[in-house]
Amino acid sequence: MQIQVLCYGATRRHVADDVIELALAEPATVADALNTLASTSNELGELLKQCAVAIGDELVRRNHPLHAGDELALLPPVAGG
Amino acid sequence: MDFNRIQTTPLSLDALLAGTESPECGALTVFSGTVRDHHEGRSVLRLKYTSHVPLAERMIREIEQATCAKFDVPLCRVVHRIGELGIGESAILAIVRSGHRAEAFAALKYLVDQVKHRVPLWKEEFYADGSSAFVTGCCIADEADDAHEHEHHHDHAHHHAAHAHAETET
Repeated sequence: MQIQVLCYGATRRHVADDVIELALAEPATVADALNTLASTSNELGELLKQCAVAIGDELVRRNHPLHAGDELALLPPVAGG
Repeated sequence: MDFNRIQTTPLSLDALLAGTESPECGALTVFSGTVRDHHEGRSVLRLKYTSHVPLAERMIREIEQATCAKFDVPLCRVVHRIGELGIGESAILAIVRSGHRAEAFAALKYLVDQVKHRVPLWKEEFYADGSSAFVTGCCIADEADDAHEHEHHHDHAHHHAAHAHAETET
């Protein structure tokens, strides 16, 4: 399946674009997507361990099942204010 | 009154206070977080804030409601700016109105701390030497577990079934 990954905060520094396309074998979970991304860069892999993940305006867990066309947002540690 | 908690233009305290006056409230506390010109010994020229806006909007509203309930205060509001900010500009404005000052101060501190530590906002600093860096923040990965524990505490067997059940249960 094909999904899109939206890169927020410092995750953007480790990828080529704000939005990246990811192809995953079905069935796939959030953890599968993160593992695939982590395999592209050790630094990104370390940061992904600290990332929350959202689909739409919902935070989802690592075992959340993915569907084709999902937009997965990577949310690294936050620092507002 | 509804308004965007995440804003792209300079924040207005007057706008945030509009319509909040209440004869039962003897206390109003206000916090403004403004952009500093230094961080950990480095000279900062400007900041850029970014956000996951849909999630941030929802979480700030939830934090406002939770703060009102926790401190038994009638009104809390927070707005946070995103985009590029210069030194001295306000990045966050928060207000609390309550009967007396003790709970107004306590609720305001809690409100600001919760927004800083939990809401998907990121701060990128631009330094005098031309480099930039994201400020190290708070990991919110456990928030997903907390949200699901709260919503689905009665049924962990199947995520979608549990979610549909939670939405129809009143």
